Amino acid sequence: MLKAADRVNVEEHFQSSHTNNWAVLVDTSRFWFNYRHVANVLSVYRSCKRLGIPDSHIILMVADDMACNPRNPRPGTVFNNANEQINVYGDDVEVDYRGYEVTVENFIRVLTGRLSPSTPRSKRLLSDEHSNVLVYMTGHGGEGFLKFQDAEEISNVELADAFEQMWQKQRYHELFYMIDTCQAESMFQKFYSPNILAVASSKVGEDSLSHHVDPKIGVYVIDRYTYFALEFLETVEPGSRKTMGQFLRVCPKHQCISTVAIRTDLFPRDPDKVPLTDFFGSVRNVEILTSTIQLDNVTVARDDGEYCR
Amino acid sequence: MILLHFLVQHYRLFPKSLGDVLTTYQVQELHLSQTQGVWRYDKWGYPPEDAAPGAELLVWFLPQASNIDKLWSDLVNALSGLFCSSLNFMDSKSTVIPRWTFRPAGLADEGYSLQSARVRYSALPKEIVCTENLTPWKKLLPCNSKDSECKSSAVELKQTLTLVYDPPTTNRNGKQDWNFRNTYSTSLSSQCPLASSSKIFVDMESANFAPFTLKPEPTRIETFRRVGEIKKYAVYDLKEVLGKQGKIDLTALYPGVMQFSDIVPPPVYASRYVTGYGLEKGGITCQIHNTLSENITVIYMETIPWFLRVYFNSLKVENNGATIKPFKIHYIPGKDRSQPYQLELVFRLRAQSTTKISLSFDRAFLKWTEYPPDANHGFYVNSAVISTILPTSVNNTAVQQHGSTIEDSMNDQSEQLFLRLHTESLLVSLPTPDFSMPYNVICLACTVVAIAFGSIHNLTTRRFQALDPSKQKKGILSKIKSKLFKSSNLENSKSDSSGKTESEADKSNQKDDLKDDNKDDKISNDTEPS
Repeated sequence: MLKAADRVNVEEHFQSSHTNNWAVLVDTSRFWFNYRHVANVLSVYRSCKRLGIPDSHIILMVADDMACNPRNPRPGTVFNNANEQINVYGDDVEVDYRGYEVTVENFIRVLTGRLSPSTPRSKRLLSDEHSNVLVYMTGHGGEGFLKFQDAEEISNVELADAFEQMWQKQRYHELFYMIDTCQAESMFQKFYSPNILAVASSKVGEDSLSHHVDPKIGVYVIDRYTYFALEFLETVEPGSRKTMGQFLRVCPKHQCISTVAIRTDLFPRDPDKVPLTDFFGSVRNVEILTSTIQLDNVTVARDDGEYCR
Repeated sequence: MILLHFLVQHYRLFPKSLGDVLTTYQVQELHLSQTQGVWRYDKWGYPPEDAAPGAELLVWFLPQASNIDKLWSDLVNALSGLFCSSLNFMDSKSTVIPRWTFRPAGLADEGYSLQSARVRYSALPKEIVCTENLTPWKKLLPCNSKDSECKSSAVELKQTLTLVYDPPTTNRNGKQDWNFRNTYSTSLSSQCPLASSSKIFVDMESANFAPFTLKPEPTRIETFRRVGEIKKYAVYDLKEVLGKQGKIDLTALYPGVMQFSDIVPPPVYASRYVTGYGLEKGGITCQIHNTLSENITVIYMETIPWFLRVYFNSLKVENNGATIKPFKIHYIPGKDRSQPYQLELVFRLRAQSTTKISLSFDRAFLKWTEYPPDANHGFYVNSAVISTILPTSVNNTAVQQHGSTIEDSMNDQSEQLFLRLHTESLLVSLPTPDFSMPYNVICLACTVVAIAFGSIHNLTTRRFQALDPSKQKKGILSKIKSKLFKSSNLENSKSDSSGKTESEADKSNQKDDLKDDNKDDKISNDTEPS
């Protein structure tokens, strides 16, 4: 029998009111000189995995292959730093959509769930109304659009509509949208669905800049915003109490040169009270007991208890 | 390679993720390979397991399967998710039904292979292999699973990983020495506990002309005869070796620096290339070299994408100028946007000569949505598959089709060896449009319309009235202004470029008038400023 005291603990544990985490990480750039975009998306992928989101809950879309590219002087690796300390590609990476499969159509189909019946599970976003979804996009963008692979664009209106479809179909509980491109703010300006928190690496009229060149590889290896974001995320552990508010303040103007823009009006909670692991991690509030608890068979009426919804 | 004969319900060593896929899509036998790079047959001989460049998939479906095309397209989607590879592009535009080239390697009912409609073959030469494909491949290995109830079944899963290293280049001293630490950054410290046998074989054939010593000492040296050739392997039984020493860092030491000399090419090798120039026509030629002193029969299979429209009457097989008539030809022409051109030939390669097969094609115009994002890179053509039976096993360590492990090849009593070769894949340019042209045209057309139409509209819809400047009273400031603006006013009123300057000029005139406090109704401009 659960005692009243235990019942209070249970309530505390389920305060965040989401039960699972998903991540959709998209790199939209092709060609070797866009190495930094692949490094960007793999940095976020690495953080998500490290903080607990399993591969089955991450949809990773990478438009081109950098690690095994014949031009890569460090084969099988993607670094985000000239001193080559962290190989963000790693040993245990699963890319769900790669190469020519990264298209606007596939991206919107993944978000809205309108995929052909033969699509395998690893390529589906199987989120429900209790899922917190992290959507990260990087590539080349402009005012109101994001370029996919030099061949097509997704506009901010299409993206806002896709998120609204997700809301109507109850495919997310809360959504965190992160974008690292030029004029990134324009991509979230048209959002109108509730429970979305958004951060962009630059305001309209500004370009997001890359951080530095690795002369041994010969290309820019990371973008400024994602570099500092990763630096912040590397200090976070699964049990960390760091908040989203702190994350939104990462990369002030003197570091990023562009101004980081955020959008909190659609988000009901105060970002300073939201733990970072609500979006980046997959933290289960589990208490391990060594004693046995006897549970009686109880018939419960349907409208009994707030957390039986 | 997976050979599946019975429906499998219990999984002990066989991975469940793969087993589920195979039972759902009623697969009897599946061969999937992913390759990065090109195997140099003329320098390296034959690989243990031959594979096409890029990704290649060959599937036989169970006899009771129906609607195989649908099963195939669902299967490639499921496999693309399982192996993190774009196998879903293996649709009807790139899939063929080979007739003679492939035979089931596992258990099958008699006469099964004659019903070739149950087989499907496709290849994606552009597909890359990287860690993301090795991660799921590694997860199929049984050594992470726990032991559970065993149920007998006839299932075989064969996973092969082939890597090529070049020690004299990677070593700084020019010697051919190699060891596990340098090659794999670690020594071998454990073997799979579920394995009934775990062995390392070192091919000692090259020790005849470049002797080397192995450390630690092998468990035994096996010398055996295979198809008339003497083969020598050093065998390490890992159960014994690891039991004694705990780990093994296998090292081969050569006494001196590598001696380079002419390499004797293997019995049969081939090279294939694109011929012709320009973006209208072209040709494909394949040269197959036979260095043996006897004739051998060869099956040659090509799959050419639909946008290279092949002329079957241009097919020529020649040897030193003499035309060779193939024993059998199987040709299925392609259909635009639905199926590729498929060619299978069975013919004889004359001893110690080169046979050339050539075809010509026309390049098609694609619709602008059919081009990939990097259209100027070109389009890939599958490699050709050459199958033959050799009377010798020189340069060949492959395991035969009826065997499973390298040990089986030691007991191989057959007098002939089956050989499969894949040629290089080809890269062909198609006439490619300039994709920025729609944008350029829109910009140009809009600019012309805006300038020309705008000006003509202004000219035709504005009413102009003549103003007599001398009749207007002006202050000192307006006099100075009128002097300054006088010449520019004349120029502006003459130019047709925009109504704006005219109205600006008119506006300044208006201001002059107002400053004068002159309420004369001499405002001439009827239109709003542009």
